[in-house]
Amino acid sequence: MPVRTNKSIGSGHAALGALVVLRRALARAAVHKVFLNHIRPIRLRLAVHPTLILNIPLKRSLPFNFSPIAEFYLFIYLLIIIFLTFFSIPPIPLELTLAESRQFRPSLPSLPPTPTSQSSLSGRGSPRSTMAQPFVKKDDDRDEEEEYSPFLGIEKGAVLQEARVFNDPQLDARRCSQVITKLLYLLNQGETFTKIEATEVFFAVTKLFQSKDTGLRRMVYLMIKELSPCADEVIIVTSSLMKDMNSKTDMYRANAIRVLCRITDGTLLTQIERYLKQAIVDKNPVVASAALVSGIHLLQTSPEIVKRWSNEVQEAVQSRAALVQFHALALLHQIRQNDRLAVSKLVTSLTRGTVRSPLAQCLLIRYTSQVIRESNVNNQTGDRPFFDFLEACLRHKAEMVIFEAARAITELSGVTSRELTPAITVLQLFLSSSKPVLRFAAVRTLNKVAMTHPLAVTNCNIDMESLISDQNRSIATLAITTLLKTGNESSVDRLMKQITSFMSDIADEFKVVVVDAIRSLCLKFPLKYRSLMNFLSNILREEGGFEYKKAIVDSIVILIRDIPDAKERPKTSDPGKYIRYIYNRVILENATVRAAAVSTLAKFGSMVDSLKVRDRATLYLDALDGENSIDKSEEDVKEFLFGSLDIPLINLETSLRNYEASEEPFNIASVPREVKSQPLVEKKAQGKKPTGLGAPAAGPTPVVDAYEKLLSSIPEFLTFGKLFKSSAPVELTEAETEYSVNVVKHIYDGHIVFQYNCTNTIPEQMLENVTVFVDASEAEEFTEIASKPLRSLPYDSPGQTFVAFEKPAGVPAVGKFSNLLKFIVKEVDPATGEAEEEGVEDEYQLEDLEIVAADYMLKVGVSNFRNAWESMGEDNERVDEYGLGVRENLAEAVNAVISILGMQPCEGTEVVPSNSRSHTCLLSGVFIDNVRVLVRLSFGIDGPKQVAMKLAVRSDDMSVSDTIHDIVANN
Amino acid sequence: MLLAVLFSNTEGNILIERFHGVPAEERLHWRSFLVKLGADNLKGAKNEELFVASHKSVYIVYTVLGDVCIYVVGKDEYDELALAEVIFVVTSSVKDACGKPPTERLFLDKYGKICLCMDEIVWKGMLENTDKDRIKRMIRLKPPTDV
Repeated sequence: MPVRTNKSIGSGHAALGALVVLRRALARAAVHKVFLNHIRPIRLRLAVHPTLILNIPLKRSLPFNFSPIAEFYLFIYLLIIIFLTFFSIPPIPLELTLAESRQFRPSLPSLPPTPTSQSSLSGRGSPRSTMAQPFVKKDDDRDEEEEYSPFLGIEKGAVLQEARVFNDPQLDARRCSQVITKLLYLLNQGETFTKIEATEVFFAVTKLFQSKDTGLRRMVYLMIKELSPCADEVIIVTSSLMKDMNSKTDMYRANAIRVLCRITDGTLLTQIERYLKQAIVDKNPVVASAALVSGIHLLQTSPEIVKRWSNEVQEAVQSRAALVQFHALALLHQIRQNDRLAVSKLVTSLTRGTVRSPLAQCLLIRYTSQVIRESNVNNQTGDRPFFDFLEACLRHKAEMVIFEAARAITELSGVTSRELTPAITVLQLFLSSSKPVLRFAAVRTLNKVAMTHPLAVTNCNIDMESLISDQNRSIATLAITTLLKTGNESSVDRLMKQITSFMSDIADEFKVVVVDAIRSLCLKFPLKYRSLMNFLSNILREEGGFEYKKAIVDSIVILIRDIPDAKERPKTSDPGKYIRYIYNRVILENATVRAAAVSTLAKFGSMVDSLKVRDRATLYLDALDGENSIDKSEEDVKEFLFGSLDIPLINLETSLRNYEASEEPFNIASVPREVKSQPLVEKKAQGKKPTGLGAPAAGPTPVVDAYEKLLSSIPEFLTFGKLFKSSAPVELTEAETEYSVNVVKHIYDGHIVFQYNCTNTIPEQMLENVTVFVDASEAEEFTEIASKPLRSLPYDSPGQTFVAFEKPAGVPAVGKFSNLLKFIVKEVDPATGEAEEEGVEDEYQLEDLEIVAADYMLKVGVSNFRNAWESMGEDNERVDEYGLGVRENLAEAVNAVISILGMQPCEGTEVVPSNSRSHTCLLSGVFIDNVRVLVRLSFGIDGPKQVAMKLAVRSDDMSVSDTIHDIVANN
Repeated sequence: MLLAVLFSNTEGNILIERFHGVPAEERLHWRSFLVKLGADNLKGAKNEELFVASHKSVYIVYTVLGDVCIYVVGKDEYDELALAEVIFVVTSSVKDACGKPPTERLFLDKYGKICLCMDEIVWKGMLENTDKDRIKRMIRLKPPTDV
């Protein structure tokens, strides 16, 4: 019935048209809740069968017929819906509609995976989970047809079934290509084939060599590479590929070479070597390139074979085809990279000739700068070989080449400003390029130059300032950090203003870079500490992750350490600013912080002539101490708050232990002030000072300070300058001998003082006029200049005698000293405790004493070794390797080196996990003359327990880096 | 070394990826990193507008072409400039294969062709061909016109 059919088709179209209108209405404008209720059954259907509506091309008719009555009702139904849609419904936001409509968008990657693919594609989860907000930019007019994926519902099992068409006697090339595409899609989606599946597919694919269809053949080549068959399977395709390799069709040859080289192993390579050599000089550049690139890859696995091709490769370097020349140059350089002369010859010949491709030109520039690095500057003219070539490349037409040349020039060692200028000019031009890649490359290079030659970059500062607002945050950050390096003192404030607005819209990782740069700037211009510290404290209050905050706090701590003025103390001009914060801590924090805040407030109270502050401080003192405080003068308060504890804690502790509770109060004056032989150096102790005030003492008193105080009380040593280091006491006697003596080595720039701590352990003896006679014949650079005897040494009351030596200033002189204790001994009456008048001269041999290099090294840790290492730069780096011989284990070797160098291990790297075969240890310290030194030690131990060590040293001074190596080498 | 070439749709689902010299366990990390980078920056970007970033010693150049985001990652000699060259070849070949900046659907329709283009452009982490016309002929096993 033709009429019926027409009607049916017509109504089918009507229904379909209405559905499309309906969907567009959904997507375009507005939907009402009522409407949603109406439409839900249809939407459900859509969601259950997305293919039903969306995957059928619209031009087709619906695959079902409606009865006339049903047609009529459906039509009325739809009319009502459309009416409701357009006339009676308040709109709801478009975004929601779109978001909802996306739920049944059938594009494959966004559909939930099918059960089979879900298990095998689990590795793909992350992109989905990390996927950012979907970009809502779909245009409404796009046909759904466009959104449907040709791979919808693809399943590995089904595709493997389909792959059986490869075995058909009558191959359908088109079909086979489609199946291969599906296989490629599966592989690219992270699908894996089991061994058996892969083998089956591989064998099936090899059958396709029978087809003459070129498109299919190209796919076959790709598929074989993707499947990377194992050795026993390779043999199946070898003959087919060998045949193609000798084919008359050039493209078969080229592709066969690429596939063979990808899947081949050494043994097969010797069989095909002859063909490959021919291919390198093939007149077809595609074939030649295929062979050359294969060579580059094969050089990794079979270098000895590829090296035999150098004549052919040499010939290919002269090729007229640009790409062949590029590939040949890369391969030839790799073959000869260990032969300096050959590389130099290659560069010489090519810099004179013509290089056709910009890529090859870039390679040539790299090789040239390598040759320049290895050759010397002409002493007479001051010219560098090949510099003219690099400079000429700055005028090349390809941007890539210009950049490469500019970079090569900036990286030349010891580059002069005359050499730098043309390169910087070129880079400056690129700063205002419209292409972000060029801007990035330019600012990155200038950033590097700024580290070594900040003055050379200052010309570009204006261009760089405009990059602070660059949309690309990487470029903006690089610009900022470069400006921070090149800026002068007067531009700091302006720069800080610009950075403040910039900081709020960059990610933490960039902020950390900026904070590091600001720290370096502040160290460079200490006078600007106020605005820079303000900036740091402001950004500390902003939102940010842990790493970022840590970087800020580390920077502030470093600045306070290195710039004394930056430490805000009670003498600050605006104490009120701090008091408010500190007072808040008193109210808000836990006990430890409250205690610190209270002490700090007390300091302010004592120092600042401000009623408010003083009142609070008085309140504090009163609250703690009550009436007693009234008797105390201001001097006492000051002494209490700021005076350091000048009594060795150990002595105080001993006296307190010996004190027996009685009527008589403990008198602190009775505590001996002489330092006893305890290894207290560099340990900080906290203690309470039991004065009448009875409040906690102001802070820690390092024992080093006690030494300093002791030494400065001796007039002979006053001219020696600042004490650099005091060693830990070294015992010069055995335990439990009559006289116990140890020595502390005090290091000054041009002097050394030995402090002999002596203890008399014989109750019946009193020693007088105690000195140490030092024989310095094995310490040639030292001259004795002073000796301070100890007047008397009663039983069990330690005393000190000193000997001072002069040495060349700033030089880490070493030597060995033998020591003889000389004294007058007097008998003591045990009953009265009094010594006889007459005494006898006596002497006592002590152990020898050495001054070693480690004595000139101060253990100073760094909070972040990596940052410190990188900020110190490579300029004064020296790296060398040492054999440490046979050692029990790595820990022994590590400890030995640490003690030789006397440096501070950082980040817990002194601990070697048991049974490790390798270990890296990071050390930090300050060498005499206040030179910062960082050391990176890499240890390895082999089977017979031979230990090898790589020592990398960076310091502020190259000669110190060398000295550290000498120390290790001589020990 | 050209470490990775990666195509994703605008929602961050991977369409094609090729890694070279990146250990399997690090690939997931790279995938997530790149997709996030794109999500943060590619919104509203123009076709073929280049974006650049560096992560430690590794460079990344990325762009959007139609509905497809393209990322290339490299290190050492493959710095941002070399990568810009690579991405230029990639985008022009994809455009050539699809006839225009592709929708996701069109991209998937031409999937096989695009895989072949990629095979011609990058070989185990090295840039091999740089001319789209040459690539177009080579994927059909036709010799380049300049031969």
